[in-house]
Amino acid sequence: MPRSQITPLAILLIGVLILPLILSSLWVKVVTSAAIFALGAAGISVLFAQLGLINLAQIALIGVGGWVALRLNYATPLPFTVIVVIAGVATAFVGAILALPALRMRGLYLALVTLMAAGAFQILFNAFQFPNGGEGFWGVARQSAADIRRPSVAQSDVGYLRYTLVIMAAGFGLVALHRITGPGRAWAMIRQSEANAMAAGINVTFYKIWAFALSGLLAGIAGALLSGALGQLDARSFLASEGILLFALAVVGGAYSWVGAIIAGVLYKLLPALLNDWGLSADLALILFGAALLHAIMTAPRGIAGQLLGALQRKPS
Amino acid sequence: MKLTTTLLAGAAALCLASFANSAAADGHGPSCGLNTGEAATGEPIKVGGINGNAPPGDFSGGTDAAAAYFDCVNANGGINGRPIEYIVENDQWNPELAGQVAAKLVNDDGVVALVGNGSVVSMAVNANLYEEEDVMVMASGCAISECYESSNIVSTNQGPLPSGIGALTYAVEELGTKNAACIGFNIPNNGGWACDWMEDYMSSQGLTGTSILMDPTAVDLNSVYLQALSEGADTILLMLPAGPAIGLLKVAEEQGGRDLFKWVSPTPLYEPGVADVLGDYWNDNLYIHIELAPFDSDGADNQNWAAVVEAFGQDGDRRDTFSQSGYISAKFFVEALLELDTDSIDRATVSDAIRAINGAESDLLCAPYYVGDADRHMPNSTGRMVAYTGSAFEVVRDCFAIESSYFEPIRAQEAALGITQ
Amino acid sequence: MVYGLFLVSGLAVGSLYALGGIGLVILRNSTGVLNFAYGAIAAFSAMFAWQVTDWGLPGVISWISAVCIGILLSVAYGRLIAPSLAWREPAVKAIATLGYMLILLGLIGFIWEDALRRIDLPSDKIGLSLLGVRVTLTRIIAFVVSIAVVIGMVQYLRRSNMGLNMRALADNRDHAALLGIPIVRTETIAWGISGALAGFTGLIFGSLVRLEPTVITFMVIPAVAAAICGRLTSLPLTLAGGLFIGVAESMLTLYKPAAPLRTMAPFLIAALVIIWMQRGQKLTFAKEV
Repeated sequence: MPRSQITPLAILLIGVLILPLILSSLWVKVVTSAAIFALGAAGISVLFAQLGLINLAQIALIGVGGWVALRLNYATPLPFTVIVVIAGVATAFVGAILALPALRMRGLYLALVTLMAAGAFQILFNAFQFPNGGEGFWGVARQSAADIRRPSVAQSDVGYLRYTLVIMAAGFGLVALHRITGPGRAWAMIRQSEANAMAAGINVTFYKIWAFALSGLLAGIAGALLSGALGQLDARSFLASEGILLFALAVVGGAYSWVGAIIAGVLYKLLPALLNDWGLSADLALILFGAALLHAIMTAPRGIAGQLLGALQRKPS
Repeated sequence: MKLTTTLLAGAAALCLASFANSAAADGHGPSCGLNTGEAATGEPIKVGGINGNAPPGDFSGGTDAAAAYFDCVNANGGINGRPIEYIVENDQWNPELAGQVAAKLVNDDGVVALVGNGSVVSMAVNANLYEEEDVMVMASGCAISECYESSNIVSTNQGPLPSGIGALTYAVEELGTKNAACIGFNIPNNGGWACDWMEDYMSSQGLTGTSILMDPTAVDLNSVYLQALSEGADTILLMLPAGPAIGLLKVAEEQGGRDLFKWVSPTPLYEPGVADVLGDYWNDNLYIHIELAPFDSDGADNQNWAAVVEAFGQDGDRRDTFSQSGYISAKFFVEALLELDTDSIDRATVSDAIRAINGAESDLLCAPYYVGDADRHMPNSTGRMVAYTGSAFEVVRDCFAIESSYFEPIRAQEAALGITQ
Repeated sequence: MVYGLFLVSGLAVGSLYALGGIGLVILRNSTGVLNFAYGAIAAFSAMFAWQVTDWGLPGVISWISAVCIGILLSVAYGRLIAPSLAWREPAVKAIATLGYMLILLGLIGFIWEDALRRIDLPSDKIGLSLLGVRVTLTRIIAFVVSIAVVIGMVQYLRRSNMGLNMRALADNRDHAALLGIPIVRTETIAWGISGALAGFTGLIFGSLVRLEPTVITFMVIPAVAAAICGRLTSLPLTLAGGLFIGVAESMLTLYKPAAPLRTMAPFLIAALVIIWMQRGQKLTFAKEV
């Protein structure tokens, strides 16, 4: 399928080369945020599209990744990229642990378990806060935050945008790779019928945990990238309500394609910034999101991405 | 349809109308900048401002008042003929948005300085940016350590630390406090920071202080109150924004807690709308430290503040401490700009001019205002105490300096600049 | 003495969680919808009640209007949106209510700008001392109403025709439809009851805790935790769960290391209940509960 690979690569190339040239300083930051949360949303999509699982705790996992990254930044001299990878892997483990209750349940109860987890993490983040260069395990000093390192190629905001876009694309690539290889086939069978999948010799437990770990990996990387983008993290960014919103937008964008994840990131971060720039209330965005979620659930199960891609495919024929 | 805002603003406007009228009757219209009465038409000077207006608080008073003052300056000769173009952004208490709007103002719009900032999140996120780009921020509403421990931020308001300790000083000296509980948000550079220094103050006095830090999203204020009760404190210091502080006072009212503790608070509770929500229960039992002159003070600057916001403000503008503070920041900023050669105004000259401010006086402040070239700034660390009497606030102690070891570097600066002997 | 204080205080908070949980369970039992918008409906009702008072109308009208707005918002969703999702999985129905929640939250923010507000109920001024804590009539009302609603609803479901219909619908929607049970009417009544409870909860919550729309909206999360304790079906267990969560949360204040984490109580207890519910379930296949 050469064409399906050329298009995303071309878009990435355009994004990395052109976007930073035409965007002003404000929009460089906004697009960086949107790309980071697109990566987080891709994790939600993996679970929702491949296994039909609802994960409302993705924002909490992004927070975990950010926490690990900040902790390592202050405690070790490791380069930023290494920290990103370690944060991703550590969060993948947390995601896998979150999968344990999911092994025997799906649907509503799983959604509730993830909601409870999101609520609990919100309290944890509030109680212990994010490291800011202090002493001890939690690393919180009652003072202003110390500096955070960025990769040498991405010291400036523009460089960091390029860096983020490349990592985002790599994350999407990883998901695509899973879809067309063994795990993707296993997930498809599990989604059809767990009993059949097991009868066909698929290790259901392993592949379900694997999906959660992949989702957690993407969240962890997103969290680490976010810590580098902002220089510090705030517990208010990782409220359970934000987890609900991010999930809603992943569904609105369309969980079945990377385009959907990008749309989710854009809706989550770019639209409110646009409204703000136009002097409109951010409450409008909430109303729009709510209506879009209802619309997606009732009439457009593949989300905006599905509708867009559908329209594109119909045109040539 | 912002019905409520209009109503609130209407009430506030009514309260203030009397001052404004008296100011006008005395023949003092608003007085701003060069006071020429002619509109400035030259090339605009871009100035930025960031406020935080979203739950849990509206910190837009500072930028509102600065905007009103700049409008007044522009109508009165501007900066030697050049008008100020004031660009205000709202960070909505969102760290990412805070970073974005600061980048827009500093990099894209190229503002020469930021004035009237009233935002908590934005200071923490952007302190480094301001330092790197060497742009000065004359803030007006701040509540976290970054505002007072950064080289490029100077805030007219005090924030919770001095104001809280000021309130406690009064409690110790006048109300007989021995054991105080500081109730604050569990945010390291806000509640944690301020309550830590409050404990330090209490132990320096040979007294006991305890911090009760609560989750900002906590639902059950009742058990926070009960925690204070079980700590055996005799005084409660409400190191909180107005909303949660009022919530806690309500719980205490329900529990009949007025007489179990002495109640003191830093400035946030000094707000025109507070009487409507608190009622009469707390009359003469709640003491608040205020950082600037009372709203009804007849000092010339306070009267001028009221006249400026009356004449040039918007209907929805808040008339609170932040508003007074924004007025002062804007006024001193304009005075500094007027000293400069009109054609040489750029970020570097403006930053230098702001750093050169020394000994600026206003009857809104108890002591002279200064900036100086230092790694931290806190030009306002004196205040007054008022008692809540339901219908009004009554000054119970006039200007006094707040003492704590936190202020050592600041007192050293003041001595070096010749502010104090 | 100290324990009594925290017990009473915990029961007061717990009855708020329980009230929320009960409203959720009543609706879920008859319509199969877990309504995440419950908190947003409560918040809208409380804000509306404040608005009515602010217009200068007497208190009684504002409280009645809170309950009416609750019914209106709840039934609006139940009649306009819920029917088109009636045959989808429970999870999808629940997710759809998140959309409604976002819309309501946006509307609230749009209509009422952030400001200091409070709702005063006359019952706030009356109270009695219990184990050293002054308990206001409002808190007693919250407590008594939550118990009364549970008893009332259990009796209603058991004795009345409509209750029979609701139970039938809860057991099996298809069979109930075949039997000629008036599904639309039954569901509308369930949405109405749940909405009335939401309006009432919002009013009490706004008065007792904080009149802040986001806080009231997301109290739905601990309310869901209470509902999970009742396995999303049992009203008495939901009540017990809500009260237990409230007391546990309050008691944790006494243990200093855990005090900052005490608000985790609802989530931990709910998670434990979910794990306990799966005990003895050997099958590795997930099932739709």
